[in-house]
Amino acid sequence: MLDLLAYGDQGWGDEMLRGAGMTVVVAVLSYGIGLVIGTATAAAKLSNVGALRAAANAYTTVIRGVPELLVIYLFFFGSGTAVMWFARNLFGYTDYIDLGSFTVGVTAVSVISGAYSAEVIRGALQAVPPGQIEAGIAVGMTPRQVFRRIQLPQMLRLALPGLGNVWQLTLKDTALISVTALAELMRMAQVAAGSTRQPFIFYVTAAVLYLAMTTVSQALFQRAERLAGKGVRPA
Amino acid sequence: MTHRTLLAAVAAVAVSATSATAQDVIRIGTEGAYPPWNFTDASGELIGFEMDLARALCERMDATCEFVAQDWDGIIPALINGRYDAIMAGMSINDERRQRISFSHGYATTPGYLVAPNGSPLLEMESVETVEDVQGVLGDLVVGVQVATIHQAFVSDVLEDIDVRLYDTQDLLNLDLVAGRVDAALADASAWQAFFATPEGENFAFFGPPMNGDFHPVFGEGVGVGLRQDDTELLARFNDAICGMQNDGSMAALAEEWFGFDSSLPCPE
Repeated sequence: MLDLLAYGDQGWGDEMLRGAGMTVVVAVLSYGIGLVIGTATAAAKLSNVGALRAAANAYTTVIRGVPELLVIYLFFFGSGTAVMWFARNLFGYTDYIDLGSFTVGVTAVSVISGAYSAEVIRGALQAVPPGQIEAGIAVGMTPRQVFRRIQLPQMLRLALPGLGNVWQLTLKDTALISVTALAELMRMAQVAAGSTRQPFIFYVTAAVLYLAMTTVSQALFQRAERLAGKGVRPA
Repeated sequence: MTHRTLLAAVAAVAVSATSATAQDVIRIGTEGAYPPWNFTDASGELIGFEMDLARALCERMDATCEFVAQDWDGIIPALINGRYDAIMAGMSINDERRQRISFSHGYATTPGYLVAPNGSPLLEMESVETVEDVQGVLGDLVVGVQVATIHQAFVSDVLEDIDVRLYDTQDLLNLDLVAGRVDAALADASAWQAFFATPEGENFAFFGPPMNGDFHPVFGEGVGVGLRQDDTELLARFNDAICGMQNDGSMAALAEEWFGFDSSLPCPE
């Protein structure tokens, strides 16, 4: 039974590990892009411009309100059609354009991750006591200085637990892009299970690998939280 | 105009365009997890009856084959989208699928069979032959099938009042069959043979009639190459190559090699 998981051409160990590697790459990229999207969205939600607020609210409402798998399907089958429609109608380019399952997968998971990050970051920004901001303005700081010196450092500390949660969600969402046949961990487990007719061993292996990834990252986030909370008296 | 051309060229490079109209490369979409039709070996290579068949067909068509792995759920949308040019994934030809894609001649077929655990009263039933017999026997039992297959079409649409459980893959269906969550299951004979060969599958057996196009039209005309409906030229080339292999016996030999019996279909006149 264990020779099925051997490393090399005789077993599936190397395929599963490569799949896990792909999962980490997709998760890290998507999470990073999601943080950028999330920060921009949080800023838009707190802005004075009504249109920006409406757009940001529409984005987080739609993405968080629709099943992740559906978002991925829409991106996978919709993006190709949309890109080709533009290519045909704007540029007269009629050949097939392959966006690739990696690009589509990372984009879809980033957009999902960004919507959740946005809410965490917005919440953290709003949790900074308004009195501190008023105090900053009272001593003559510009709004920019208030943001950099008072809001941002505290926001990072307050957002970390929530962002750690978003990271775990993102890591697990990558399993959904197995529907695009990108060779990440879940897809490799499905292929190995189907091809060997031994589903149990491969699904358990995949579960162990996912658990290893989430355990390590949980430890890292706990450390980061300790570091960020150094200057704060425990409540 | 030159501006547009330039933009198109930039766009093309940026997203790594591949051409579907270049006739010398035919991209073939497959699932890669459905032995012996198409599956993946431990080194990650796609292998199976359809991989060998595709290579032989492409050789006859003077084309190069490229395989593209695709999850079963999206295998038809991705063809229509242009991700690949042909589907060879153990896909049965039937009218429902014909509404969206076209099919080559059938190249092989394996009948569907019902399976139940040893000791189940279902295995003792005699003279279960017609659709009505099957309806009577399955009655209000729980029957498992893989989603979006001809087997699902049969139990959900042809039979009435069956408690149908749908599974994404054959393996998940097998797991629930072993766990006793379904009373019986319907799938392709080749899928069952692979299951019977595993330790868990030893305790199961066929019952009822072999289900093919003669038993009920929903079981279709065998497995063929799925193509986009406007790709008529490629369809003709596939049909020629398939008939060539059917007529000189190489199709039968290949089927024998992968299935252990001759599952190939003859060339229609």
